[in-house]
Amino acid sequence: MSNAKDSSAVTTGHVMQPNGRPRPMSPHLQVWRWHVTMLASILTRVTGSALYVGAILVVAWIAALASGAEAYATFVGLAGSPLGLLVWFGFTVSLLYHFAAGVRHLIWDAGAALTPKAADGLSWGSIAFGVVASLAFWAYLFAAGRVSL
Amino acid sequence: MSRTTSQYRNGVKVSENHGAGEWKAERLSALILVPLTLWGLWAAATLSGGGYDGALAWFRSPVNAALLAVTLVATLWHMQMGVKVIVEDYIHKAGTLKLLLGLNTLICLLLALASVFFIARLALGSAPLPAGLGA
Repeated sequence: MSNAKDSSAVTTGHVMQPNGRPRPMSPHLQVWRWHVTMLASILTRVTGSALYVGAILVVAWIAALASGAEAYATFVGLAGSPLGLLVWFGFTVSLLYHFAAGVRHLIWDAGAALTPKAADGLSWGSIAFGVVASLAFWAYLFAAGRVSL
Repeated sequence: MSRTTSQYRNGVKVSENHGAGEWKAERLSALILVPLTLWGLWAAATLSGGGYDGALAWFRSPVNAALLAVTLVATLWHMQMGVKVIVEDYIHKAGTLKLLLGLNTLICLLLALASVFFIARLALGSAPLPAGLGA
């Protein structure tokens, strides 16, 4: 398919569609207006990657438990230290946010809540859920005396 | 990789690559993980502060052990697919891409096998490792 339209398209940087109109171009990252759905999407990837490490830690916990009381005491000593608890807290935030953002995406995949307003609402909701549910989870753990600093 | 003749089903071209299979598998694993993740958090809250004996007793319950095994395998499957997409998005050098994808699959597979192995031992009340391996 080589015609006059195509050669002019090369100079303007536009690709012509079969209907003769230029194909819409995706705005470059630098000129993209900030949007919460964009942030939520990036956060889903970031938390997903963090959960990769989290999954390794969970398997390490099971491995320590299967390796006897001494190994388990070493693991719990590290996991229960202030730094260890901070890592578990980050794990909880990542998990609960990724969970909410995933449910949000499943709603979209079903074809619902795709208007900008609804999509923004779900994205803000996921971020809020990740933070609030994590704080509630850890407030319970401390209040019930299950963990302590 | 691509076929010489395109195939059509119901007037729609059949994908020459993986089609929607990966997309569907991502959604299926996500759906499975919705209840399992909530259960996992509840289990974590139950187990925390319970000590070594409490954790051992928890694993002796077949329901707990089975659910944890299913949760971890589904999680690692979901994780393998998720990281695959990230790697495919950002790595364009053929050699590096192949290496990272292989490494990702290998890590997830090993973690899944290890978790099922450890969970099975704990559920059966086997002797602690490594002594339990030979004895």
